Amino acid sequence: MFTRVQMLGAAAALAVSAGDVAQADVLFWSTQARPAEEAQAMRDNVLDGFDGEVDFQPNEDGPWLTRLRAEIESGTGTIDVLGSLHGNFSAMNPDNLVDLGDMGVMAASETFNDLGRLGTDTLQYIPWMQATYLMAANREALQYLPEGADIDALSYDELIAWTANVEEATGEAKFGFPAGPDGLKHRFFQGYLYPSYTNGVVRTFASDAAVTAWEAFRELWEHTNPASTNYAFMQEQLLSGDAWIVFDHSSRLAQAFNERPDDFVAFPAPAGPEGRGFMPVLAGLAIPETAPDQDEAKALIEYLMKPEIQIETLRATGFFPVVNVEFPDDLPPSVQAAGAAISAMSGAPDANPGLLPAGLGEMGGDFNRVYVDTFERIILGGQDIRTVLDDQKGRLAEIMQETGAPCWAPDAPSDGACPVE
Amino acid sequence: MTHASMAAPAPKTEPNPTPVTPVRNSGRYLYAATVILLCAWVLVPLYFLLVNTLSSPEQVSTFPKSFIPEFDLGSLQFFAGFQGILNALKNSIIVASMTMVMSILFGAPAGYALSRFEFRGKETFRVLILLTRAFPLPLLALPLAVLFIRTGLDDTTFGLALVHTTLALPFAVLITFSLFSGIPVELEEAAWTLGCTRFTAFTKVVLPLILPGITASAIFAFVISWNEVFAAAVLTIENRTLTAFLLQTLGEAPLHLKFAGGFILVVPALIFIFAVRKYLFSMWGIANR
Repeated sequence: MFTRVQMLGAAAALAVSAGDVAQADVLFWSTQARPAEEAQAMRDNVLDGFDGEVDFQPNEDGPWLTRLRAEIESGTGTIDVLGSLHGNFSAMNPDNLVDLGDMGVMAASETFNDLGRLGTDTLQYIPWMQATYLMAANREALQYLPEGADIDALSYDELIAWTANVEEATGEAKFGFPAGPDGLKHRFFQGYLYPSYTNGVVRTFASDAAVTAWEAFRELWEHTNPASTNYAFMQEQLLSGDAWIVFDHSSRLAQAFNERPDDFVAFPAPAGPEGRGFMPVLAGLAIPETAPDQDEAKALIEYLMKPEIQIETLRATGFFPVVNVEFPDDLPPSVQAAGAAISAMSGAPDANPGLLPAGLGEMGGDFNRVYVDTFERIILGGQDIRTVLDDQKGRLAEIMQETGAPCWAPDAPSDGACPVE
Repeated sequence: MTHASMAAPAPKTEPNPTPVTPVRNSGRYLYAATVILLCAWVLVPLYFLLVNTLSSPEQVSTFPKSFIPEFDLGSLQFFAGFQGILNALKNSIIVASMTMVMSILFGAPAGYALSRFEFRGKETFRVLILLTRAFPLPLLALPLAVLFIRTGLDDTTFGLALVHTTLALPFAVLITFSLFSGIPVELEEAAWTLGCTRFTAFTKVVLPLILPGITASAIFAFVISWNEVFAAAVLTIENRTLTAFLLQTLGEAPLHLKFAGGFILVVPALIFIFAVRKYLFSMWGIANR
């Protein structure tokens, strides 16, 4: 026992000295490309062409932010490049990020660049890649489409009728909705249900049109697999057959298409009385003020913004380029399916594109909470829609007042904080 | 067996044997059922983990499973080629070993003192030990990381082992405390009268008696360190532990990789527990203290 202990002690001492070896790699601290296969593809296919060594480290949001805060607070950094979603950057103080306006690289879309300025007059993060939320279905479900319905131009009523037909035919509720703790359900309400029914997100939160929207969703929920409150990645339920018709983030559907491309179809989100609401997902690249090697960090960002590298990133992560590129023909099945559905969605005559919540700062989480709470009270708790909306409205108004965030599309622009009407 | 005993004439000493037999039998069934249930509780998930690890991606999402896996090594091969995984495994072992050594080194004397000596504030001290577990790590990680960066402990296996030792210490202290309390002080006193010093009495008499308990708390420390993610993810960059390195990439990975990754995380810990298990049971049958 004692010799064993001594041995371990020696190993420990050895390890401490080995830990001191200095590293000159560019540390790329990311919340994106986290799944094992994506991380591997980032390292092997995207970053290996960079002139210099990159240490790509994907993290969950908690450790990602805590480590970054610790480095900013202590003034000594190891992180060179940050990769994350718009929401994480908008919760940060722009002073802690290096101004990137003079780099000469940016997204093709001025809307995205504007989001990247974080309310300042220069780019704080460079838009890096984009995705969106989509619908997907098992081909078996297509035979139950209501008569006259076009899958590329569905309305919410047709979707409800379709899920009802499927339930009648199979005896099981086969609509799948990512309502689990890690599911992205709030984005469905903010970017899809509300814009489609009310042409707004904040202003129209408690409007009569919002009551209609929740009534429709309640109807849809009757044909939804009750296990949905446990779902987070709808690709799993598509593959297992627990759900035939689903809504989710395009990269959370990718595995289903890549594994069995012939069994599933991707299609645009449905339309409501106010059009076909949808919302982008935007990831960006930034450099913290504490980065040890800012020149190398800028070089890495320039590299990642090259069109051919953006295509490689698309292959690795399923996130689409933000610069103008020529798409090759040999993209993975998930990318082809998602790409076709996205262009059908954005090209639809009734398209009603929304934007990501902006200007909420660190209250982004509280903002999402309002929509999740509303969902839980109305749908899961069965409470009266009008009562719940009037109740939650107060909390939403508080958040908007406190942050002073102006309205974003599809809400009509506002002077000052976006009002809840 | 039961048939034979039923046929044998009832012993004279037992006045009424007939109602005893079914009770004893059902007791035996209950006992067996409990044993089987507890074993299944541990083994069935491990079994599914193994089967799914050795299944092809298509097979993983099907049900029911075939009893014998198809030995598709694709998922495991993926991790064999996963950059940095061996280094992370090495770090995990180093950190867990250091945690184990340090928590016993600090925990056992504290446990001994609590059980043998009377001092002021003893009860408060016992509660205070538990308090180190009262604060969630995500809350402590930020100030800790700032402190570590400033002192140079940042991104070292030793620094991380210190944090894990703090987490494991309450268990080490409380387990060894109850162990020492279970050994009569008279044994030590007898050793003193026979020429032992306090120290030799401890090493020659008490230590052999409590070795199984020490092993148990060492396993505890090892497992606590092995399973910890948050501090490891925040406090290390180059020297990541396997858990911090893998677990974060598994949350959103496809199902078959989740199983394979989980398998890789579980196996080293299982090997370790099997390696030290003889210390748990071998010592004069007092392991159940």
